Amino acid sequence: MPIAVDFVKSVTGESFDSLVLASPNPVVVEFMSYGCEHCRLLEPVLQEVAQRLGSRESVLRVNIAVDQELANRYDIEGTPTLVMFLKGIEVGRAVGPNPSVKVLWNDVTRPFEELA
Amino acid sequence: MDQALSKPILLFNDECAVCRVIARWVMKSTESDVRGSSIIVRPIGNDPLILRMMNPDLDIWDAYANIHLLMPDGSMRTNGEAVAETLRNLPNTRWLAGSFNVRLFGERPFQAMLNGAYTVLADLRPLLGCESCGIPPPWLRPFHWMTQRIKAVFKARKHTATAAHLTTRPALKSSNRSYIL
Repeated sequence: MPIAVDFVKSVTGESFDSLVLASPNPVVVEFMSYGCEHCRLLEPVLQEVAQRLGSRESVLRVNIAVDQELANRYDIEGTPTLVMFLKGIEVGRAVGPNPSVKVLWNDVTRPFEELA
Repeated sequence: MDQALSKPILLFNDECAVCRVIARWVMKSTESDVRGSSIIVRPIGNDPLILRMMNPDLDIWDAYANIHLLMPDGSMRTNGEAVAETLRNLPNTRWLAGSFNVRLFGERPFQAMLNGAYTVLADLRPLLGCESCGIPPPWLRPFHWMTQRIKAVFKARKHTATAAHLTTRPALKSSNRSYIL
């Protein structure tokens, strides 16, 4: 399943504060692991959603196998978990979303629309 | 990358204890080779682009799912074939690796046995403590469930996808939590 362009950028513990918490724009963070089969099923769907979102929302990923501290900080109990941030504050989360573009689109846009 | 062109590269999942033990054994074995290290052992890492630079067909998700050996000619060996090729490159096991080429009625029985053994070991990894090796196959799930329950007594949190996440409807939880950093 090689992908030509990665629309979901990786973020680490070092860059999390600057890319997520300090961002003035809506940010979606996927807490995932490359060994997680459900994350793998979600990956092409998330790529498509991220591509459609364009500059409207940033979609980033955190590999919890590498950044366990972030997983602990945000109480991640399983992967994949999507956490929506606005100006550094968590405004929503989707745990184990269905790998469908429609469902995922709703999951990642609704929390921000409710606030608008 | 020069090294990568001249020697096979064995990728291993450095988040998996079983894989780390095997990788260490391979590294130790290559050190004993009088002709110098015959194989490069490296963790898969976290960057899909770096992997694609080594081989355009290499997918990070596949690399985590099963063993990959990148050959100098640009080809890739996976699963039991990768194990056989690795053994062929180690001084201590070169003699054994010859058996995997033995043909009987057009088939390679020893290679087939190795493929089977690899599949069982790969399936067992989640049970042996690898939290990054995905969801165990159906036949292992009762045992996995039991080990998870036992582990839960000692460890409150686990970061592994569970089968429940595959079947439950997506739960969208609005949260007003903010984090003081």
